[in-house]
Order: sequence, then structure tokens, then C-alpha cells
Amino acid sequence: MTDSTKPTFVGKLAPRASFWTNNKGTLIGGGILVALMLVIPFTASSSMMNIVVFAMIFALPAIGLNLLMGLAGQVSLGQAAFFAIGAYTHAIMLTKLDLPGPVAAAIGVAAAMLVALLVGLPLMRLRGHYLALATLGLGFIVMIAVREWDVTGRTTGIYGIPRPTVFGIPIDNSGFFLWFITPFVVIGLVLALNLTRSRAGRALSAVNDSELAAESLGVNTYALRLKVFVLSAGFAALGGVFYAYQVAIVSPTTAEFHLSVSILLMVVIGGLGSVWGAVAGAFLVQFLGEGMREVIPAIFPGATGEVQLLGYGIVLILVILLLPGGLYQATITLWRKLPFARNRRAADAHATAAEDDTTIPQLPAVSTPVAAGEPILVISGLTKRYGGVVAVNDVSLTVPAGTILGLIGPNGAGKTTCFNMISGALTPTAGTVTFLGQVISGKKPHVAASHGLTRTFQNLQVFTSTDVVGNVYMGRYRKGRAGVLRGMLGLQAHEQGAHRAASYEILKSMRLTDAADDSASALPFGKQRMMEVCRALAAEPALLLLDEPMAGLSGHERDVMAELLRRLRTAGLTIVLVEHDVAQVMSLADHVAVLDDGVLIAHGDPETVRNDPAVVVAYLGTDLDEAEAELNELEEHA
Amino acid sequence: MKKSRLRVIAPLALVTALALSGCSTANLGGDSAPDGDAEKGPIKIGAVLDVTGVGASLGVPEQNTLNMLAEQLNDDGGIDGREVELTIVDNQSTEDGAAKATSKLIESDKVDIIIGASRTGPSLAMRPIAEAAKIPMISVAANVAIVEGSEWVFKTAQNDVVVLETILNDAKEKGYTKLALVRDATGFGEGIADYITALGSERGITLVTTESFEPSATDFTPQMTGVRSSDADAVIIWGINPSAGLAQKAYVQLGVNKPVYHSHGISNQAFFDAAGDAANGVIAPMGRLLVADQLDADNPQREVIEKFKADYSEAYGEQPSGFAGHAFDAWHIAVNAIKEAGTDADALRDELEKAEFTGISGVFTMSPENHSGLDASALILAEAQDGRWNLVKD
Amino acid sequence: MLTDFLQLTVAGLSQGSVYALLAVGLIAVYTVRHVINIAQGEFAMLAGLGSIWLVSAGMPLIVAILVAILSVTLVAIAMERLVISRVKNLTPLLSIILTLGISTLLQAIMLLAWGPEARGVPLFPGTNLLIGGVSIRSQEFWMMGALIVVGGGIVLFYEKSRWGKALRACAEQPVAARIVGISPVAASVLAFAIAGFVGGVAGVVASPIYLSLWSGGVLLGLKGFVAAVLGGFVSFRAAIIGALLLGVIEAYVAGYVGSGLRDGAAFLILILVLVVRPQGLVLKPTAVRV
Repeated sequence: MTDSTKPTFVGKLAPRASFWTNNKGTLIGGGILVALMLVIPFTASSSMMNIVVFAMIFALPAIGLNLLMGLAGQVSLGQAAFFAIGAYTHAIMLTKLDLPGPVAAAIGVAAAMLVALLVGLPLMRLRGHYLALATLGLGFIVMIAVREWDVTGRTTGIYGIPRPTVFGIPIDNSGFFLWFITPFVVIGLVLALNLTRSRAGRALSAVNDSELAAESLGVNTYALRLKVFVLSAGFAALGGVFYAYQVAIVSPTTAEFHLSVSILLMVVIGGLGSVWGAVAGAFLVQFLGEGMREVIPAIFPGATGEVQLLGYGIVLILVILLLPGGLYQATITLWRKLPFARNRRAADAHATAAEDDTTIPQLPAVSTPVAAGEPILVISGLTKRYGGVVAVNDVSLTVPAGTILGLIGPNGAGKTTCFNMISGALTPTAGTVTFLGQVISGKKPHVAASHGLTRTFQNLQVFTSTDVVGNVYMGRYRKGRAGVLRGMLGLQAHEQGAHRAASYEILKSMRLTDAADDSASALPFGKQRMMEVCRALAAEPALLLLDEPMAGLSGHERDVMAELLRRLRTAGLTIVLVEHDVAQVMSLADHVAVLDDGVLIAHGDPETVRNDPAVVVAYLGTDLDEAEAELNELEEHA
Repeated sequence: MKKSRLRVIAPLALVTALALSGCSTANLGGDSAPDGDAEKGPIKIGAVLDVTGVGASLGVPEQNTLNMLAEQLNDDGGIDGREVELTIVDNQSTEDGAAKATSKLIESDKVDIIIGASRTGPSLAMRPIAEAAKIPMISVAANVAIVEGSEWVFKTAQNDVVVLETILNDAKEKGYTKLALVRDATGFGEGIADYITALGSERGITLVTTESFEPSATDFTPQMTGVRSSDADAVIIWGINPSAGLAQKAYVQLGVNKPVYHSHGISNQAFFDAAGDAANGVIAPMGRLLVADQLDADNPQREVIEKFKADYSEAYGEQPSGFAGHAFDAWHIAVNAIKEAGTDADALRDELEKAEFTGISGVFTMSPENHSGLDASALILAEAQDGRWNLVKD
Repeated sequence: MLTDFLQLTVAGLSQGSVYALLAVGLIAVYTVRHVINIAQGEFAMLAGLGSIWLVSAGMPLIVAILVAILSVTLVAIAMERLVISRVKNLTPLLSIILTLGISTLLQAIMLLAWGPEARGVPLFPGTNLLIGGVSIRSQEFWMMGALIVVGGGIVLFYEKSRWGKALRACAEQPVAARIVGISPVAASVLAFAIAGFVGGVAGVVASPIYLSLWSGGVLLGLKGFVAAVLGGFVSFRAAIIGALLLGVIEAYVAGYVGSGLRDGAAFLILILVLVVRPQGLVLKPTAVRV
């Protein structure tokens, strides 16, 4: 995925600032939307009115699908299924059980969310195309079910749905209806916007950049994705509820595939990952559909039926090929071209530069759940086989708390495989990893992370859709608590502010403050590596796994890094590092373990290991003398 | 910077709102046309038809008929000098399409009366909307549920109960005691099994098996396999074309050798197009349109039908179907009532309840209790042979 | 009763043959491009409606069918060249949106060109058979025959020929394919051509009985997808068996449970398989993709 096609919820982290500053965009946008909706019934022609009403109805499922696609990175081709479940349940509650409108609507939304939960529990484990096609199938199942069931009125559906009444006023014309639905759309919009900027939203956005890194920082991808899926079904169902009110009949066509396609189109046109884009998309697709229904029969005489699909198909293809970020991307690009917008960015940059200072930075906090010297990590019989190849063979090790263990070995010795099994990225074929008394092997990385184990990566896993401080901020994920609900309600500004401040502090310790507001992907390689270490430290870990932290760093940067690691050890942090720079390892580590061909061939203090003949052979070839000479030379060089 | 923008936008929006609030309240339930004009301006007749989708073989000839009749009427000077404005909306054969179209006709086109829809399902969807708005509606679909207990809704197609009675009477005469039913799964076919059971018990006829198919179905093997292995003496296939015709084709291909009845839902050329030779021998009850040339010379319907057939084939180059006939009847009943009562909704409705009309489908006699107006005398039985219908019983 | 059972089995196998051909097309593209082509079903409808149009224009049936299948193959190649290959980094998300867009576009074109009615290609030559009360329509022989000849041919091509083996290698390692002398571009074009070809064949043989409809492709393609999932999306043989199984199960559900539930059965199977054995019915969970 190129950067421009990646779903991005940009939006700066909320600093400690006034409510107005934090929510400026939402307030202005919401205000304009409300004002428009107030005026339109007086000015619009009735056919225009029809378009606006249906755009507002479909904005809700579009917002939901946009969250799913933008945040969870999953495509649903069955959004109409949840739309239909909401509409049908609402209609049944109203016509058959005579329940009051709000109760019926709540049940309708709850029913769809329940179905989403049941379907999502198994399906959200699947990757790639499978969810899309499973939801496509779900759409057909819902359509067949309502068509074959007496309760849902079979092919005819449920008709005679009573009009809603608000404070005794019946909502019996499209103008009133527009005013009736507008508050719900605005509230839905605000909730969705809040979610994208919340702890959960940022976590999911990080997952889209690098699932491995996000999980290693404690993000439970599966649970979050499932929540967003259920939430998106809720949005769809709310749209269905209003649809049932407005059209006064619910028939199997509400679950139709083409409806799912048009909702998907709204999201794609608006821009994946932009909540406002989804609303704009809903309007555009309604206008496009109406326009096509006017234009096509004029061009092709006799054309009837769903001719608007011609436009839908072309637009879907063209947007992906030419403007993958949709309207949102186009707007941002245009905005940046405006002269005063550019000035503001320059001013921002200047402000951060002035923050630079040279005092000795404060040490990032670490957690010390066990006393120094006690075993914190116990590896026993760890083995990984790929078919006939044994990558790691029966490795057993114990790491005492408050020490640095260096893991070395030639290329392909199995160091990274070991790391991956310890952090949960790989499931061992045999053996266990026990961290703080808990077996963590075979579990997802977020389990290890939740116990206080974080890591960095040999192949950098940078969250490219955010800035440097945003990356470090993700490290704070484990320290936060706000869930999806709190995020949606926007009740976490305080928590976010505190974590943001902490992130800046940690950047200081690596002297990266200058780059804090730069895009993470624009950073030089070495700085990215240091940023990753900061990110891991932000989680206040008890055990830090560093996979080649020095690779690509300049001499000065290496010194900063080594100094920091030593100070952290003194503070009680346990560190395991894989490193090619043997000299660095020897000087930093309390213990060194050597892997060769997946087998642990030596383990002890640096002096012992250095003199171990087996290590020398493994490392430098068969000639012992020559090897020893080379090793000494290396050391002197350092 | 943004604050200042908001300061501009908010009052602007407010001023616009106030300035425009006087413009129109049409979207808020207000009437755009002043009341005085309602009795002088053009008469507005709306129609909601299944022009596309599974009901297209019904809706297209209905649309043709209405367009032709509206043109004829306006050429003759309209009604009392007032022009008649016909607005036809396609519901794409969907229920919610019909509901949306009805709302549009009532809310924005302000029609005086609505004709449609072509099939039962969409008609049922329209009914509550017409009733809530108190606008008379004349459906051209069959199921009696469309008009049952309704103050505002009428229909011109023969009641399906009457159709079934005609079939069952014939079956009884021929000595069939066990029947199988293969029905359309939509509103048109719903309830048919219950009617057969109820009407059959008076005649010593039982329903042994019921199968159903979607109007969009193309494969009928499972249904016909079930019918083939049943011990029924005869089979009723109850649907509209093309699915009913395709079902008939599969029926013959799969070697079901039982006599077969169809409903009045197949009275058009599309049946022969879909079924081909397999149509031979099919018996179906229908109006007199398709067998007009075989009617007695003194039959009161003969003249009406022959004029309609001549007009229609001149305008469209093909013969009208029974569905075109339903639309013809609905149009004339509506126009006759408007001529008498004007466009006041209550007066118009009362006038419709008094309507008497000799039309294509039969001789109508509406009453407050009977919004359908046709009885068994409206139907004949015909047998298909080589692409045409032969009158077997009048 | 046995007659009914056999009758339904025949109908199921012939319908399953169509699903199998579509599954073959889906897998051919997936192995090379890791794209699930939502427009696969549209290939079938396009070929069916195209043949009907050519026949009505006076072309002999056999010529019309061949021209239609060839045209659809070209459409598939055009789709690869003009759209799919234009996107550098094709994620699942993008490929779904793109092929969905193409599917929607093709549907709209068919609607505009040939109208909303379902129509059938004239029956292929042959006579219906009635064996022990079980009627086998001649067209059903054509459908099963098409699977044996075309589907079997594709399987042989992949397993025996140098190019076929290279295509399969593409799935795992584009470099491997290059070594055998086939560029990734050629492999991709070839895969789409195969998809268009089998889709076209499926469309024309099924049309006389099951008719062709502008909007019928989505459901049909999805059935092919269900079959492909049964085959773990890698094995042609497993997918073909899965497709026949699916056709037969659908026929039984329609015959014994209720004809309206027929399509529901397929998707219930889909979701069950995805939940229980997403790797398909035949492969071991850890087996390497081939």
C-alpha cells in the first residue's frame, strides 16, 4: 500500500488545551451541517429534498463502514445486512408489538450489533479477503431469511410502519424528517470522530501501519477490530431504523448487495478513514445516483432500472486509481496549497525548534516487579521447526532481573526467531517462555506486552501514518485505560494529555525532541531506530527486547544509546539485546549467550564467552588462532 | 482564523434561513399550490408501475396503455376542459420503490388519484401511504388483501378467490380430487394454498403438496421433482411471467405428465415466449381480452375490447395483454369518477364506490363493501395451443 | 423417492459444474495475483448475454458462442491491463474495491446494452434422456461435459505443462517463475485470460437452462468463491469437488427443505467453513501453498 492509499486518521494529538481548541474542527463542521439542514427544507425542491433525506439516512451506515475500513482495515460487503436487520427489527417492534419508537429503535440497533458480535467472533480472526466475502454472504443470508420468514413478512416485507412523533408533532413530511434525523447524524459523527482520535482509534491506526509492532505494545488487535465491527453494524442499523420510518415499508431489498456497494462507494469517495468524508460521500453518491438516473436514459433511450450502477462502477475504479485517498485527500492537498496554511506549518516548525535543550535528560520510568537478580525471564527447551528445518533447537536460558543479556551468533543462527517466540510473534514448536511466572509462549504479543515485555524490531516497524511523538505515544498504550466507549464520548482528554507529555519526556532522553513533530516515515533510518527504542520505553516495561538497536546508528548516536541502556539497567530494567556489533555487546552486557545453527553453544559473562573455543569456531570459522586474533582485533577497534 | 470564519458563517446561515423561510413550505407539509387552483388547474393522475424488474412484463403494457389513454383524453379536450397530467413512476418491481414513488406522487406531484401497482406486494406497500394521505388509489394487481377493509383503495384485476373458484369448478367437473400447487413466493402467491384448501373442501378436492418459487427463479427442478412424485391428479402453477412460463417449460422437460392449470397472471405473450411448445394444453382462467374474436357477437364486452385492441396495436404494433386491460379499466373508472365528482378526494372516493363500468376484464360494479367490483362472470377458461388461447368455457 | 433423489443429484451436479468452472477462474487469478476477482461471475453473464445477442443478430449458435467466449477472455485481459496492473501495491482492501468496481461497471453495461430481462441462449443440440424416471436434459450433459473438458484441461495444464507449473510457482515466488522463463506480467495476463475463458464457458453452457441476467453474476461468482474456499483457494481439484458438492447440497436443500433456502445453504456453508477450517477441506493446516 502506498502512503497515499493508506487509511489515515491524521489529526494531531490533543495537547492540554481548551475544549474549543481540541474540538475546533468538529464544532465548526457540525455547526455548518446543522445550519444547512435547518435551511434546506425551506429552499430545496422536493426532489432535492429527497436526495438530502436519503443522504442523511445513508450517512449513518457509511460512517460505520468507514470506521471499519479506515480503523480496522477490514472491508465489509454486507453493510446492508446490518442496515436491514436494524430496519426490520425496528419495524417488527413497532407494528407487531406496538412498542414506543425509541425502544423499538434501540432494540433494532442492539439486534444488529448482536448479530455482528456473533458473526464477528469467528470471522474477525480471518485476514484479507475473507471477511469481505463472508460479509457478502451474510448479506445474502439476511435477505433470504427475511424473504422466507413469516415474521418478516416474506417477500412483501413489513408495511404500515407508523410515523414517529416528537413532542406530539407527527414527523409526516420530509422537512420535519430531516430535522428529526439531523441530531442523530451529528451525534453519530461526533462519536465517530472522537473514536478516531481516541486511544483505541490510534491503536487501530497503528495496527494498520504495523500489526506486529502494535501488538507488541499491548494492542489486542482482534478485540479492538471486533468492537469496531460491532460498532459499525450499530451505525448501519441506526440508518435502517430511520429508513424504515421514512419509507414506511421494509422489504428484502434493504439487504441487497447493490445497497452494500453504494455504501462502500460513499466511503471510498469520501476517503478511507475520514469520518467527514463518509458524510460527504453519502451526499455525493445520492447526487450521483439521481444524476445518473436522469442522464443515462437521455443518452441511451429506453434504459431503465438501476442505471446509476454505471456511474458507481466507474467512480469506484477511478477513485482507487487516481485519488486513492478520496475527497479527504483531495481537500487536504488543496488546503496545504493555500498560502496561509503553509505559513502556519512553518510557524509550528519554528516553535518546536525553540524547545530544544541540552540538559541531561530525565530517565524514562521503568517498572521493577521483581528484585534485581531474581529470575524474570525463563526460557526452557525452546524449539522452532519449519518443515524439516530446525531454526531454534532446545534453547534454555534464565535472565535475572536488572541485567543486560546479549544474544549473539552468526547470521541465520536463530536469534530473531528466538526473539519472536519470546515476544509472542511466533508460536514455538516446543518449549515454554515464562515471564514473571506467567507462561507467555504461544500467546499473542499483546499478552506479553500486558505483563511488561516490549520489544523493537530488526526490520523497523514504524507507524508511518503519524509523527514521531505519535509513535512514542503509542508506546503509552499499555499505560492507558480508556476503551472504545470512553473514547467515543471524548472522555479521555486528560489521560491523553498526560501521555503526550510523557512521550515528549522520553524523546528528550534520546535527544529526539527536534524531530518530535516530523512525520515518522520521513525520519532518517538511525533516528527511526532510536524512536522505536523510545516507543518501547514509553510502555514502562520490566523487560526490553532490542533487536539490533545499534544498526544504522552513527557513532555519537551509539554512545547516546549505550549510555541510556546502562542507566536504565541501573534503574532496574532488564534488557535482552540481539546485536551484530560484538564489541558493543561485550562492553554492555552482563551475560552473553551465543546461538549457532539454532543451538545455544555458550552462555556466561562476556569474559568466559569470549574465551570459549566453540564460540570462536562458530563465529569466525574453523581456524582457532586466526579467529581469536580477529576477535581481539575487533575488541581493540571498539 | 477559524473563529472569525465561524463568526461570518453563522449569521449568514441564519439570515439565509430567515430570508428563505418565506419561499416555500412544500417540504414541511404545506401546500405549494393555493387551494383555489386545485379545482381549476390540470387534473393530476399518478401511476406507480412495475416497469422494470420481475414485474416488467406486467408494468410495461400497463404503462403503454395509460400513456395512450391519457393522450387520447387530452386530444379530446381533457376532463371538463381541464388537461389531464399523467405521471408514471417506475417502482423497479420493489416494495420500497413503490412506497417511495407513492410518497413522491403525493408529496411533491400532489396527484389527485393514484393507479398501481402492477403486482400485489408493491400494491400492499402503497396502500397505507395512500390511506394516510387520504388519496384514492386503484391497484391493477390481483390479491384481495389489497382492498380488504380499505376506505381508499380499489382494484381492477379479478380477485384471486374468484379465479381459484373457476379453476376448482373445472377440476371438480373433470373429476380431479387431489391437486398440487406450485406458487410464486411473493404476495401474489401468498395465501393461495389456504384458499385452495378452504374452497376445495366444499368440492371434495384436497391440496396434496405446495411448492414455491421466486419470481426471479430460473431453475425449477426441485419444485417439479416434488410435484412429479406426488399423487396429485392435476397441478396449479400460480405465478407471473417469465417465471411461470419457465416453470411450465421445466414441468414438461422433467416429464410431469399431469394436467396443468395456470393463474390469470400469465395472460400475455411473454408466457409463450418463455414456455414455447411446452405451453400447449395449459388451461388458464382469464378475462375475455385474449379470446375476444371467439366471443358471442352480443357479448357486452366485445365492442370495448375490440376498440382497445385496435387502438393499442396501432399505437404499439403489438397486441395488448390482460394486464394492459387492467390498466385500461383502472384509467376509465378513475376518469369517469373525476368527471362526476371533480378532484376533491372525499367526493372522488364516494364516486368510485358507486362506479359501474363495462371494461376489458369484465363488468365492474363497485360498492362501499366491494372495492373490486368483478365476480366470477368476468372470467373464462382458455386453453393454450400453438401460441394462442382458445376459449374452452365462457 | 429414489427417482427424486437422483433427479436432484443430476440437477445439482450440472449446476455444480458451473460453480466449478468459476472456482477454477477465481483460483487461477488468486494464485498469481492474490486478488479475489469479484467480477468472475460477470464474465459468465457477459458471455451468455453476448451469445444471445450474436445469435439474434443471425450468427450460427456455435460461432456466436465461440466469439462470445473469446470476447470475454479479452475483457478479462483488458481488466488486468487497464485496471489491476495499474495499482502498484495491491492490498486485499484495494483489490476488493477495484474488482467490485469492475463488477458493478460490467453489470451496468449489460443492463444498458441488453435490458433488465433474464434471457437464455438457445438450447445446444442434443436430446433429453429419461432413464428410470430420471430426466436428464441434454443441456445438463453439456454443462458437465464443459467441466470435464475445460476444467480438466486447465488442471492438466497447471500440473503438466511448463507454463502451468510456472504459474503455480508464481503464487509462492515470482522469482521462480522468472527462472522458468515467464515474466510476472505475462503470468498475470495469462491468469486473467484463463479466468475470463472459463467464466465465459460457464456462462454459455448454463445460459439455456439457468438464463443470463445482468445482475446474476454476483451470486454466481460468490458460489464459485464458496467452492474455491472449500478447496482452500489453492487446489483446483479440491475446489472442483467442493463445487460439485455445493451444487448437489443446494439441490437437496431446495428439493427437501425449501427452494427459497437454496442460496442460504451455500452461504451457511461458506461461513461455517471460514470459521472451522479456513484453510479448506483438503489441506492440512500447516501445508505450504502450492
